[in-house]
Amino acid sequence: TSQVQRGLERLSTAQVDQRAAEVVQYILMKDQKKVPVRRTDLVKHVVKDYRNIYPEIMKRAARSFDQVFGLKLVEIDTKNHMYILINKLEYTEAASSISSPTNPKRALLFVILSVVFMKGGVVRENLIWNTLKKLRVDPGEKHEEFGDVKKLVTDEFVRQRYLEYVRIPHTEPIEYEFHWGQRADAEVSRAKILQFMGQLHEQDPQSWTQQYREAHSSPSSAQPSTSSQR
Amino acid sequence: GKEKASQLFAEGNAFDTATFAEHLLSFMGLNRLEDEEDEQQNERGADGYLPQDAWHRLARRTECCFRTAPTFHYMMGSFHAEPPPPKQRIE
Amino acid sequence: MSRQMGDNHRRFLQTMMSIGIVDDHGAKALYQHCCETHNVQCPPDRLDDFIETINSKLQPLFMQIRKGMSEDNGQEHYALVNMAQTDVTRMSSDYADNELELFKKTLELIVGSENGTVSSTDILNSTDSMTTKKLKKSETEHLLSRLVHDKWLNETKGEYTLSTRCIIEMEPYIRTMYQDQVSVCHICHTIVFQCQICENPICGIKIHNPCVARYFKGRAEPRCPACNDFWPHEIPEIRRPRSQSRR
Ligand SMILES: [Zn+2]
Ligand SMILES: [Zn+2]
Repeated sequence: TSQVQRGLERLSTAQVDQRAAEVVQYILMKDQKKVPVRRTDLVKHVVKDYRNIYPEIMKRAARSFDQVFGLKLVEIDTKNHMYILINKLEYTEAASSISSPTNPKRALLFVILSVVFMKGGVVRENLIWNTLKKLRVDPGEKHEEFGDVKKLVTDEFVRQRYLEYVRIPHTEPIEYEFHWGQRADAEVSRAKILQFMGQLHEQDPQSWTQQYREAHSSPSSAQPSTSSQR
Repeated sequence: GKEKASQLFAEGNAFDTATFAEHLLSFMGLNRLEDEEDEQQNERGADGYLPQDAWHRLARRTECCFRTAPTFHYMMGSFHAEPPPPKQRIE
Repeated sequence: MSRQMGDNHRRFLQTMMSIGIVDDHGAKALYQHCCETHNVQCPPDRLDDFIETINSKLQPLFMQIRKGMSEDNGQEHYALVNMAQTDVTRMSSDYADNELELFKKTLELIVGSENGTVSSTDILNSTDSMTTKKLKKSETEHLLSRLVHDKWLNETKGEYTLSTRCIIEMEPYIRTMYQDQVSVCHICHTIVFQCQICENPICGIKIHNPCVARYFKGRAEPRCPACNDFWPHEIPEIRRPRSQSRR
């Protein structure tokens, strides 16, 4: 827009790049906990007096994430303006002598996302808790790997936007249900989940007709996208 | 009770969470106790114990489903740099 | 000079983000892996050029892949480090304020020690003088094991030392903050913690153990490279590290 244009004219490229670099730094720091970054916080802590050229700064920050890190800056919530980073590089097995740490919490998250997906996108919380109990994870007890399971699932995963934990209206006693969160939509591949389901159940992924259709139609479901350089 | 959603999803194969959990337990390396009548035991299904690395094992296999960005961690710059109190070395 | 990064560079950088530090063998293997994955030629002797390309794009973002030596075995390592100290970097939430205060105290104790180690007892005692919320004994123990797990400290038998990752990232900070306390190795001129010290009171130079091993190798009578006094310490063997990266 012309306002951005006018703002840019008064600043040197180096000044704008410097501020964009600080945005990159801020987003990397926030991503340590995988909580989405809000525009209001970005403006307050980094962009500050450059807010009139905010779109240009974000464009340059996004370009750095893309070209330097192979990451994509995604606005997952266009209403509240929240951003996350997702990986543009295809997953590969690590080099044999490098032991990248594995995160067991991801496996727990995987189980929940799988159940919600396989059950049509929404699941009452009891079904989740019962499934986890079968896997020796009791939401009422402290788990040696996950600590407070209930808190991890309904608070941490929710703040990270992997899950939505929604009250079902008009239930007595109060009941909640789970959905996929916006981060999961951007970051998790339904097709890959279904593939693993097929392997586990020793059956063709296509035999889950509806899920198969969904996994291979929704554009946001993290289809392998080739990194767009240049 | 049954999920409403699963009825809407009746087309194709139904998805049963109990079966899913059983498969996951096997995948995670559950050591099933050699107990003949374990099939119809308590609601936890077959007894047995999971190995130490059970969840890590599953995490490694499911990593490919996520396109998660790696995170950057640092120590320098995470706290205020104040010079130390005037040196008082213990000789 | 602006060399373009490719997905092979990006994959290398991403792996460095998740592991933090890698030894030279691991770095070579990773370099090869990243190039093979993206079908790019990788001349075996070009690792440092490869990293230089990444660094040329990283430095404007206040980050760097920096090389340094392990004080334990002398092996070269590469660590991904932060170079900025700003209000934004201080918002990092990996550790709480009081945990960072205790880390700083530990760092001070190590810098002020003769040979770069501090006992868990001394760390526990130093919580008495904390200005932020005092850590309990169990909390301190938990914090120390986290610091070891996150590769900021090393621990053997209750003695703590700075890890290679910590020394590589914190070197500029330690040099400016503790100018009059920190020593530099007489052989390799980087800061030194675990070392041997010349016993001549007017000399007192410090040498890293692996640098001692290399310097005195094959010399009949070890003498101090600064004052020529007899070097009274046991000369360690050169440790050729196993070609595996640390867990
Ligand atoms: Zn040295
Ligand atoms: Zn001397």
